[in-house]
Amino acid sequence: MIGLRVPATLGYRHLALRMVRAACRMALGSDRTPSGMVSDFEVDVISAFGEAFNNIAVHGFRGLAPQPIQIDVNWNDEQLVITCVDLGHAFDPESVALPDLDDLPEHGMGLFLMRTCMDEVDYRPGPPNVLRLVKLRTSAPRPT
Amino acid sequence: MTHNVEHTGDETTLTVEGTLDAATAPELRTVVDQLVNERRQSVTLELSSLRLIDSSGVGVIVSLFKRIRANGGQVKIVGLRDQPRAIFRLLRLDRVFPI
Repeated sequence: MIGLRVPATLGYRHLALRMVRAACRMALGSDRTPSGMVSDFEVDVISAFGEAFNNIAVHGFRGLAPQPIQIDVNWNDEQLVITCVDLGHAFDPESVALPDLDDLPEHGMGLFLMRTCMDEVDYRPGPPNVLRLVKLRTSAPRPT
Repeated sequence: MTHNVEHTGDETTLTVEGTLDAATAPELRTVVDQLVNERRQSVTLELSSLRLIDSSGVGVIVSLFKRIRANGGQVKIVGLRDQPRAIFRLLRLDRVFPI
């Protein structure tokens, strides 16, 4: 398990992403793709986590002084689990409508991407708010 | 993120490199605003060195596409790969931009 505690601001997004990317590569171990190639597993996890971090930094602390977000990544032979804990505003994921992709939306795609890229997205409103993202090692590959 | 705008006759090439996300998208949005205000008709987005994109970055590109098209112009994307390519496919933008 590895973890990171950073202020919930976009200025720390790249650092949090680097930590999660490193966790993906450690989790995949010998299953990694050849050097220089990025696996679908890593692409999905990084994409989903990036949206999660955005939501917390941009929406969770809107109007509030940024406080730390605790990010932990656990993995085993079956799955990788990211847990994000914050004290920002809570939200109701069920109240977020799916984007109409036919309408070429410019906003409101973050939660859709999180759900599409991960096998499980679980959110418990707080305080503290706890977001759990699960990616199975055996996730079906995306169609090419 | 770094970007570069090059005009060759009526053609405009906007090259974006690095990470286009919630932190950097506002900077690119000012470039998009300028291209739209100048009523550029043919814009090519060169994204072969774009390493990472999120929904905020996609939003700026979709905005560029919609506004240039509304002015009667066209936008095309070249060089998309890796994570940005996967995101475009997930959001079904490959219907709009052949990738």
